[in-house]
Amino acid sequence: MRRKELLPRLADMLSSMELTVFCLVVLMILVVACTLAQVSLGIHSAVEQYIRSFFVWWSPESLPFSVPIFPGGGLAGGLLLVNLGMAQFRKLELSWRKAGLWVVHFGMALLFLGEFAAAFLQVESHLSIEEGQTVNYSQDARRMELALIDGTDGDADDVRSIPAAMIRSRGEIADASLPFKLRVHAYHENAELRMRGTDDPPSQATAGIGANILVRPASRPLGEEQDSPAAFIEPVAPDGRSYGVFLVSPALGGTQGFAHEGRTWSLSLRPRRYYMPFSLTLKDFKHDVYPGTSIPKNFSSLVRLLDPRSGDDRDVLIYMNSPLRHGGLTFYQASFGKNDTLSVLQVVRNPSWTLPYISCTLVALGLLWHFGAMLRRTLGGLS
Amino acid sequence: MTPRGLFAAVFACALGLAAWPAVAPAPKSDFDLEAFGRLPALEGGRVKPIDTFARSTLLVVRSKQTVRVDGRALSATRWLLDAAFKPETADTYPSFVVDDPEVLGLLGLAQGKGRYFAYWQLEPRREEINRQAQSAASVPSGARSRFQTAVLALETRMSLYERVKNTYMPSGRGDPSAELASFQALMRAAIEALRSGKAGKNAGEMMAALDSRMRGYQFLAEAAAFKSVPPLKGEPEEAWASFGESMLRPGAGRATHPSVPLFARMAASYRAGDAAGFNAAVAEQAAWARANAAEAARHARVEALFNRAQPFVSGMALYVVATLLVFASWATRREDVASAARAVLWAAFIVHSLGLLARTVLQGRPPVTNLYSSAVFVGWGAVLLGLFGERIHRRGFAAAGASAVGFATLLIAHHLGASGDTMDVMRAVLDSNFWLTTHVITITIGYSGTYLAGLLAAAWIARRHILRKPDAADDKAIVSLTYGVIAFSLFFSFIGTVLGGIWADQSWGRFWGWDPKENGALLIVLWNALILHMRWAGFARERGIMMMAVFGNVITSVSWFGVNMLGIGLHSYGFMDSAFWWLLTFTVSQLMLIMLAALPPRFWSHARPVDA
Repeated sequence: MRRKELLPRLADMLSSMELTVFCLVVLMILVVACTLAQVSLGIHSAVEQYIRSFFVWWSPESLPFSVPIFPGGGLAGGLLLVNLGMAQFRKLELSWRKAGLWVVHFGMALLFLGEFAAAFLQVESHLSIEEGQTVNYSQDARRMELALIDGTDGDADDVRSIPAAMIRSRGEIADASLPFKLRVHAYHENAELRMRGTDDPPSQATAGIGANILVRPASRPLGEEQDSPAAFIEPVAPDGRSYGVFLVSPALGGTQGFAHEGRTWSLSLRPRRYYMPFSLTLKDFKHDVYPGTSIPKNFSSLVRLLDPRSGDDRDVLIYMNSPLRHGGLTFYQASFGKNDTLSVLQVVRNPSWTLPYISCTLVALGLLWHFGAMLRRTLGGLS
Repeated sequence: MTPRGLFAAVFACALGLAAWPAVAPAPKSDFDLEAFGRLPALEGGRVKPIDTFARSTLLVVRSKQTVRVDGRALSATRWLLDAAFKPETADTYPSFVVDDPEVLGLLGLAQGKGRYFAYWQLEPRREEINRQAQSAASVPSGARSRFQTAVLALETRMSLYERVKNTYMPSGRGDPSAELASFQALMRAAIEALRSGKAGKNAGEMMAALDSRMRGYQFLAEAAAFKSVPPLKGEPEEAWASFGESMLRPGAGRATHPSVPLFARMAASYRAGDAAGFNAAVAEQAAWARANAAEAARHARVEALFNRAQPFVSGMALYVVATLLVFASWATRREDVASAARAVLWAAFIVHSLGLLARTVLQGRPPVTNLYSSAVFVGWGAVLLGLFGERIHRRGFAAAGASAVGFATLLIAHHLGASGDTMDVMRAVLDSNFWLTTHVITITIGYSGTYLAGLLAAAWIARRHILRKPDAADDKAIVSLTYGVIAFSLFFSFIGTVLGGIWADQSWGRFWGWDPKENGALLIVLWNALILHMRWAGFARERGIMMMAVFGNVITSVSWFGVNMLGIGLHSYGFMDSAFWWLLTFTVSQLMLIMLAALPPRFWSHARPVDA
């Protein structure tokens, strides 16, 4: 009996205008908080904390756990979406008079879905490419991976990679694809590396380049700066024989490795790579400035796109406001370096990228319809 | 006089007054300063008249477009000529504004009488200023102290002025005409000696003299503040050169540029007080530019005219008159005064529009390209909207609101323009006329709407506290206007915001990045949506809507200016910057208005059944 009452009441609440207003206010507060937090946290963490979360968490020093103190963007947006859908069908009459609002609300729902989809599906990475170089992968400097490469046959693409998150959480890694185990001695999210002096304590590393390097854990950088992690890894053969402890870090150059059962393995900690089924060759990078100044006018990369799958072999000019879309990826001119011979492209995979375009058109038409009709009634009422 | 006739007469009068600065005869001077100001030059990445460079430089250095010397106001062009050709005179002009007491202390100057100082007063401490500025520059811009920011600004101004002085001759010394002749003679002799292969007795001496002269011009080439020598026919369009760079041409085996002796003559005759000689050289250079760099010369002439006309200053004055006339029409309840107010408002709007149009044509860009032009455009949009509203309800509220927003935004623009050239070139990612037209224009119209709605609501609140007798019809008109304007701004701010997202998707690969500027725009959309939903649900009635509309002013200002301050660094700079205090003052004033509205009816000047 009570169940029957509860459901309609819940439906009433979910479709109420009070909830709409509540969600809008919560969203405004979150947007303000997220904007202010960017000053100290940087845009990435601020968005993670306030917008792309279901709750805003507070972790006081005295408590061992975090407390949710405010609804996050995911919750407010989700509730607003439910509210929008419920109110639409329960409250709003289906009539020409309200047709504009129907279209507006449908467009808004799409916009919300688009942002949810982006939060879950969008993958961002970077592709650095020098003039004349051919590259078939992009990298994500925010995520690290431990790459183990069997270089015996000279094929650099025979790569086994282990996400840094796994290294961080486990003491020992045994993977079916690896003929040996990996023992993790330490993992530092951010560390400073320098050459070891004579007075310094001995290094944890016993093999490779790391033996001469001093590693000091550092506090994580604020804002947009990126971590420079370091780890001590010990490959161990199935019979328990150790190949020594290696220091791995993206700050280290060169290769280091060991031989196992007649095969040579190298290991490195590097930004996570996403391999593409096609390649880009940078033919020319241009950095135009306004005459007599150093104010940039345009950046452009002339690349050759080679995709055996689709049979593409053509030149593409990627420049400001004009990206290349190919194979579900979008390549944007993002940065440059090395005296204008290196181009950095941002690579984004976002299957839902068309949603905002559709939703914007729908909302614009709907609002135009609705407010236009309103204005006509006002003007008609006056004359 | 018929009402139509009155309207037309007032309208024509107002337009005539606004046009006066453009057609007024130039102040009397033997030297044709105006003609010199119209000469084209390349600076900051674009071709502009020397007049524009002079004005924006003086604005940077002195925060004014003129400099007062012995009770007379010297024009920016005159100031520039003196600095370049007669620096010993210009060094005595009070050209530098120094406000910071600590910087004054560093300079050993007394705070008190004036805030303007001459270069000769600062020069003895030049090295110390340099040293302090260098150490200030190593501090990140957000963390600088007030003194560090001020000393850095002073150093920037002084080196800008020094570059102007070194544009034609090293600190304006010597006779460039004679020097040019002797340099050419020297060059000819050297080439002759090289060709004949006969190294004479004095060959070493000659080469040393030539070398030292070349080094002098090299210095000029590097120091020059602007490039006034246009490219020759057949050279690339952007191959402008400074005077010093052109002097080096013979060294690179090319003929002397025809403009070089002309500028040398200008300098020599200006120094000698020979007005006729100066004017003749300027006229020749202008004629040469018209024939050989026609596009640049035409552009420079039009822009110089635009600078002189100052349409936004005239517009500002007319908006004030229009506002006062609307008030007068309310006080007198006379229809002819109301008609005159509308005529002046229309005239102001025409002047404002012409100014916008001129900027658009000169830049070859949509009207909004930077913060300055956004202020001009926000005002324009609000006035257009207000004129439309006034046609619906002819009660003066929309007209008063429109002229007040028009005036306020032009005033803001005037202050924003003080940071230099207002038609600066667009940085790479912004260089897209399509997106500047669609996204930037729509979002700016959204700002216009929110401000107009806020102002109408403020008028509604003020009437509650001022009027003795309630006028239900008037109140109803304001409420309906405000509601319409909010709906209008929701439409434009939403479309503008989403278009911004689409632009971001096109250029950075993500539709929405939650960066401060995007968030600011989103806040306006959310707020307008909130107001409309509160109204539809009946949570807020007349008074509530009006209070919320006033708060819309705060939200719009914060997202327009506040987020920019955040970008610079919230901790120190934002709090020192005077714009921050203006924003704070404005916010407090709006909150006070809201509180006035929230007072119970017995505090109002007329008691009236209250709603919501």
